[in-house]
Amino acid sequence: MKPRRFHGLKRPLTSINTRTHNLPVSVFTSSTARSNSADTVADKRFRALQKLRQSWNKYNLYNIFKAVNPKIGLGTTQTFFQQKWRAKGMLRTYHGEHIVERKWERMFNRRLLSVIDMDTESMAKMDGSEMAAGRGSGIDQRLRPGDKRTSRTLTPYMQMTFAPMERRLDIAVFRAMFASSARQARQFCVHGAVKVNGKVVPYPAYRLNPGDMFQVDPERVLYATGLPKLPPSDSNQPSSHAGENEATEEAVEKEAEAISEEESEVLAAKAEQDPDTTDAPEAAPVNMKPTRTQIQDLTAQAKAILSEEPLSLDLGVGRDDKASSEEAAPSDPIAGLTDSELKKLEERMEEHMREEKENPHDPSKPYVTPWRPRNYMAPFAFIPQYLEVNQNICSAVYLRHPVARKGNAEVPTPYPYETSQLAFNWYLRRR
Amino acid sequence: MPPLIPTLPPAASSIIRTSAGTARCVAQLPQQVPIAASFSTTASRPKFSKARRLFRAWERMEGRIYRRPTGDGPQYLAPRGVETVDRPFPLNPHFKSTKVLDDRAREMIWEKIMRGGETIKAVSAEFGIDIRRVAAVVRLKEVEKDWIAKDKPLAKPYAKAVLSMLPKHFIKPNVSNPPFEPINELHVHPYTMQQIFWPTSESRHFTREDAAKAFHPTLLSADKRVPHPELVQMEREVHQGRLLWDASERFKQNVMESERKAAEKQVAKAAYEEKKTTRINTERFEFRFKQFNAENVGLRGRSRNAVGWRYGTPHDDRSKGHQIKIPTSVP
Repeated sequence: MKPRRFHGLKRPLTSINTRTHNLPVSVFTSSTARSNSADTVADKRFRALQKLRQSWNKYNLYNIFKAVNPKIGLGTTQTFFQQKWRAKGMLRTYHGEHIVERKWERMFNRRLLSVIDMDTESMAKMDGSEMAAGRGSGIDQRLRPGDKRTSRTLTPYMQMTFAPMERRLDIAVFRAMFASSARQARQFCVHGAVKVNGKVVPYPAYRLNPGDMFQVDPERVLYATGLPKLPPSDSNQPSSHAGENEATEEAVEKEAEAISEEESEVLAAKAEQDPDTTDAPEAAPVNMKPTRTQIQDLTAQAKAILSEEPLSLDLGVGRDDKASSEEAAPSDPIAGLTDSELKKLEERMEEHMREEKENPHDPSKPYVTPWRPRNYMAPFAFIPQYLEVNQNICSAVYLRHPVARKGNAEVPTPYPYETSQLAFNWYLRRR
Repeated sequence: MPPLIPTLPPAASSIIRTSAGTARCVAQLPQQVPIAASFSTTASRPKFSKARRLFRAWERMEGRIYRRPTGDGPQYLAPRGVETVDRPFPLNPHFKSTKVLDDRAREMIWEKIMRGGETIKAVSAEFGIDIRRVAAVVRLKEVEKDWIAKDKPLAKPYAKAVLSMLPKHFIKPNVSNPPFEPINELHVHPYTMQQIFWPTSESRHFTREDAAKAFHPTLLSADKRVPHPELVQMEREVHQGRLLWDASERFKQNVMESERKAAEKQVAKAAYEEKKTTRINTERFEFRFKQFNAENVGLRGRSRNAVGWRYGTPHDDRSKGHQIKIPTSVP
């Protein structure tokens, strides 16, 4: 049983590229000494190295975007064993790469669940005997080429290969969009931030049963899905660490220019960020502050005006005097507003106040406040049908096991049918 | 990000650098240039690799639209030249991002069941939502209301942002709405996955009931296994000429009856369990006693539910791997 000792991920890659950093994403892996003539071959090999992960990382998004159909077994001289080996290796990089292969092999089940939609109307009209007519499988119907029924949609059973993985607590937390990666979801479990049916379950390997409700601490969810805060030294001080990194990068770029890499020079000239991190620098709090103060000032003014007391009016005037010239301009017409306009203003103010209360500016939080979703989150946003999620309380119910239907399978996987089929065959243990 | 390690002055560190160009650059820079580690003899990467350059280009051009959410629906990766709305993974056409229930729709379901006193099955049939989903929505809403009552902060900004990125299903009140999902789905039983040769006479009226019996003597027919048999009954009555409003009233009654029966069954089960246990309250503990047969240990001598252990059965406690102490269910 030699092959079982190397997991899909740990199989030694045969000397294509020299790895310089041990990054989770393989964007940066390419040989330093590379000639233009070897580009195509290198690109092919590079694509073979790309690993798709359960993560909202932007590099992962890029890899998913760039991924091409591996077409294992087509036009190659690979043996069936080799095809299966490669396919399962690829799939395992996405499906629970943090789970040991031995554990996954224990979870794997060759029974794949599926359902059939039973139309109530046809069930009421017929008792099934029409299916026994003819030669035992219904009376033949002559189908015209334009008829929809001629094209058979298959039930993609093979895409259900990793369905038992979706039962795991950590992966379900990731699928419910409470964590930005499966590994982060795992950390949440281990750190005791996840409850199942009201009890803390610190086991990421806990397999959910149909009807289980899992809750994640909302603070953690906001941290995981929110825009991350930059370290305080990054934003202002030019002599800080990041600044230095940029400096080195610019230097690097100058050298690149010397080697006449024009493209990279142009791009790096605009670089504002350390490319090793996912997060772009954004001066969010600085931008938000004036609007917040404006809102607060305006609410105070509106309240003062609406209460219609001479004392408060005086107060309002006093405020106007203190306010800057920009704010003084909108405050002047407030005094001369009609009742309906005032009401509208009041409503808007209330809305602003509610937003302010729901999503306050709070520097003590580990994420950017007011909370905003992290970058590159939208293309990853989907919730599989076997979960029912309530985002307000960061809780979800695992309704049932994922199933295959005609035309679609509920297990989210980035790979095509053929690859999954080979991987399924690998795990059938008849090699 | 490499750790900031106080290094020697660049003149000294440039000795180990091999490339002349790098050395030149180092000489131009200020004193505190961090290198990966002071003991490293590898020169830092002299230029952007092609892969990094391509990524940067993508990030600026095609990838820019994915950076911030537009706020009006999903934005999935579109494979080149293909207009896709619901496919998060361009290579996998079999996985589709399906709609989720809007917050108001959930509120409406909760209202119908908790305030209006309607049955779960009736609401499921009315809106075309799976029975289990309806129950889950109500359960989650109850928790949400509890949080509101306790003044526990909700993750409102998160909910707003996530729901703006997902395809949503809205329910309009007092109108017939399109179904959210297929509700009458039948699990494909492994018994029915086999091909069998079953000779019968041509004149025989071979129904679903007979087919089930042909697959396995204990297998129930599809009519009994579907989640909404009452709905099929209603359709049948409509087909036989009963008026729609009458049939739907009868459907509601049937559903109420079946739900009541299920509840009664549950109560009876709990009562039976209670009857079997003897509780003895002491100052510190409540002791619960149940009758067990220690001989009842199953075929292999170590049944899961057994309290006993047959003499001679080898212990599992020294075997590796499969004796993981993770709970299999949380009550």
